[in-house]
Amino acid sequence: MGDRALEGLRVVDISQGIAGPYATKLLADSGASVTKVEPPGGDWSRRRGPFPGDIPDPGKSALYLHLNTGKRSVTLDVSVPSGQVVLKKLLARADVFVAGEKTSTLATWGLTYDDLCSTFPELIVAQVSPFGATGPYADYDGNSLTAMAMSSIMYNTGEPDREPLTTAGEPGEYIAGVQLWLGVLAALGNRASRGGGDHVDVSLAEAAAAADEYNAAMYAYQGAVRRRYYSRHIFGYPNDIVKAQDGYLVMIPGAGGFPSPLAGDTVSPMALLMEDPALDQSAFFRQGGERMIQWREFDKLIEPYLSTHSAAEIVMTAQALRMPFAPVPTAADLLADEHLIERGFFETQPTPAGELRLPGAPFRMSETPLRMTPAPALGDANAEVLVGELGYTTEDLTILSDRGVS
Amino acid sequence: MNGHEAALPLDGIRVVDLTQVFAGPTCTRILADLGADVIRFESPNRLDVTRSLITTDNDGKDHHWHRSSYFTIRNTNKREMVLDLTKPEAIAILRKLIAGADVVAESFTPRVMENFGLGYASLKELKPDIIMISLSGYGQFGSMRDFAGYGMGLEPASGISSITGYEGGPPMRTGMSFTDPYSGFVGAGAVLTALHYRRRTGRGQYIDLSEQEAAMPVMGAALLDYQMNQRLWQRRGNRGDHAAPQGCYRCAGDDRWCVISVSDDAEFARMVAAMDHPEWADDQRFSTVLARFDHHDELDAAISEWTSQRDHYDVMHTLQAAGVKAAAVLDGKEVLFDPHLRARGQFDMVEQPLLGRRPVQKHLAAKFRRFEAKTRTPAPLLGEHNEEVLRELGYGDDDIARLKAEGVIADAPNLPVPPQLISMALKLPYDRYIPAGILQALEPDYREQLGIADDGERAQ
Repeated sequence: MGDRALEGLRVVDISQGIAGPYATKLLADSGASVTKVEPPGGDWSRRRGPFPGDIPDPGKSALYLHLNTGKRSVTLDVSVPSGQVVLKKLLARADVFVAGEKTSTLATWGLTYDDLCSTFPELIVAQVSPFGATGPYADYDGNSLTAMAMSSIMYNTGEPDREPLTTAGEPGEYIAGVQLWLGVLAALGNRASRGGGDHVDVSLAEAAAAADEYNAAMYAYQGAVRRRYYSRHIFGYPNDIVKAQDGYLVMIPGAGGFPSPLAGDTVSPMALLMEDPALDQSAFFRQGGERMIQWREFDKLIEPYLSTHSAAEIVMTAQALRMPFAPVPTAADLLADEHLIERGFFETQPTPAGELRLPGAPFRMSETPLRMTPAPALGDANAEVLVGELGYTTEDLTILSDRGVS
Repeated sequence: MNGHEAALPLDGIRVVDLTQVFAGPTCTRILADLGADVIRFESPNRLDVTRSLITTDNDGKDHHWHRSSYFTIRNTNKREMVLDLTKPEAIAILRKLIAGADVVAESFTPRVMENFGLGYASLKELKPDIIMISLSGYGQFGSMRDFAGYGMGLEPASGISSITGYEGGPPMRTGMSFTDPYSGFVGAGAVLTALHYRRRTGRGQYIDLSEQEAAMPVMGAALLDYQMNQRLWQRRGNRGDHAAPQGCYRCAGDDRWCVISVSDDAEFARMVAAMDHPEWADDQRFSTVLARFDHHDELDAAISEWTSQRDHYDVMHTLQAAGVKAAAVLDGKEVLFDPHLRARGQFDMVEQPLLGRRPVQKHLAAKFRRFEAKTRTPAPLLGEHNEEVLRELGYGDDDIARLKAEGVIADAPNLPVPPQLISMALKLPYDRYIPAGILQALEPDYREQLGIADDGERAQ
């Protein structure tokens, strides 16, 4: 089965929702020991769903089951002093502390990096928050939508005469999670060579902005302010989703798809695809600028072909002509996708919601492949951690529980 | 050598960077920002295509490959060699470099590295603990492995576009190649994970990153909902299941917008107070979460009435001060000027040869107390470090002159036509893009506004 890359790394995680838990899922699936500290009512993603049959059940929330593989769960109210005392005992035995709160909230709990660094000089304190630990908006609230808004990406997504459109699936949270994971690994590298903990500070808004392709660059190098135009690239048309006879595909002619003066008299791959060499004589095949501006005229040229061929057939033929066309699958299509099945991408896991195929590792490591175990039940490690590791008695546990601390 | 004095986490780590375009260079830029010595490679016969993208002032002049903003922003902190890998001696140079490297990154379609004799098994013979990462569209095995993959197709291929779009409308892409930077970030983390393992055990490994797969966790809840309930998520604009109102609202000005997201009744009460419409909280259409979902269109109209009379930043600050999630929808210019992003150093200034001082956005968004992962040195000119790297490998003056004469190394591209013709073809028709609505504005005084005008002129 291979070694585990992060064996021996100890992580204590009080974050909830998506960004922080996704970062610690990546650590846990790589072999780190992640103790997930949940409020006695559970991480809010346990209430988020979706649930089987739409019946809420904190053990069966899809979002929670997806984002918390490989962890163990301890319930602890870190907003009260007795909970903070227990948490600090956990931190004394940890390499990394992950929190998903604003600095002002962590300060009321005495859990900012500055509060902790003298007591735990080797601890890496990783904080992910909507706008970051410092700066004029540090106290503002947010989510994936506010992050995408601040990034310049949303302004350039959508139709020109409608409101800007966010990308679905809460990508702002996931990007921030990946950036937090990167930050933790970088700080661990620094600690390995020089010793000492660090504060890793990730803002959802900045993480999303770091994914900008060229919106800011167009201004900083050209003075041009880009605007959404059917989510199309500035470089040229189509390179976008188009409708075929039975569904959608992405039409990407690529570098050599249209006629080029360097190609001489050979028929272009786009004209070959549409089985009509005469298309190469059209201004919309020959001139990218015309195609971009008069795209409706270009669409008329390709519509007869698109409306009479299936999306899958078009993608296969175009790929055979070395054009990087792509499919537009739904969740159902992905789960049935032959290529992903051949790669063994989905990982079947037994969960309280039945056997589920979870999205697998986002990258394959030959020596230390990521591995999952199912997400924990709420507080499944309370006794193991509080009694077994921290030395509390079972009576203490009852008292903590009665007081609502655990 | 790395252009920095302060200690960085990847000091002493050498990366041989055979990636091109967007995802791979994003991955290696993060490694470079963390202190690694990243040496990238280009072919004189076929430059990285991004050396032709978004030329400075929309004018490539007679050296477009040195005026690309797209290339500049994701290749700072790196060194570069131009090697013609069709020549055996170029492969020999590369093999010598790899023998002293820690990481090799590549983003060719599968098989290309094998054809060069540079597959993982061969690299391992050169350097037993080498870490190799291949970033591709669909991965190194499986029936679609030979598919050509461009970033603009891989977000749809990951499923995300099927749930993105206006209600009732077609699937939509993000207005950029979104999964490219995303998988570049993931790739950098994969390399850091492998380096952590190597520190502990002395062992290297091979990493196969499929961009389609890397992004698919974003679809996690949708994939599980389909398995649990056979439900396919519908496209629904900016709305969500867990907040009402939630949307993007028109503000005062030309195409200015603000997003607002209200999770519960308490936040709604704060919003109506901030908007000075306390009566909405008692309105039966809006008083509970369920009612707000049912009357979302009417609520949106009422909110828009309020936002449309105000500046988008005013809406954001007023609502945030009251404890309501809101953010101005920033364009590419506003991101550069936002006071919060400025205060936190989202952009570094780099003195780019031929272009002058220019902002470069951070790629590693995480901030640290003990070091800063920032742009320190400009993006390399074509083959800028040919001689420097060859000398480090022990080559002398005569060798270098011979390699140059034989075309093994180069510092200019082999072009089929004069560069001026290519520059002309690269010029985007911005004068027509503005009336068509593809551009919001073109501001000739942008360097004055950014405070980089004098530097730019001095460098010309």
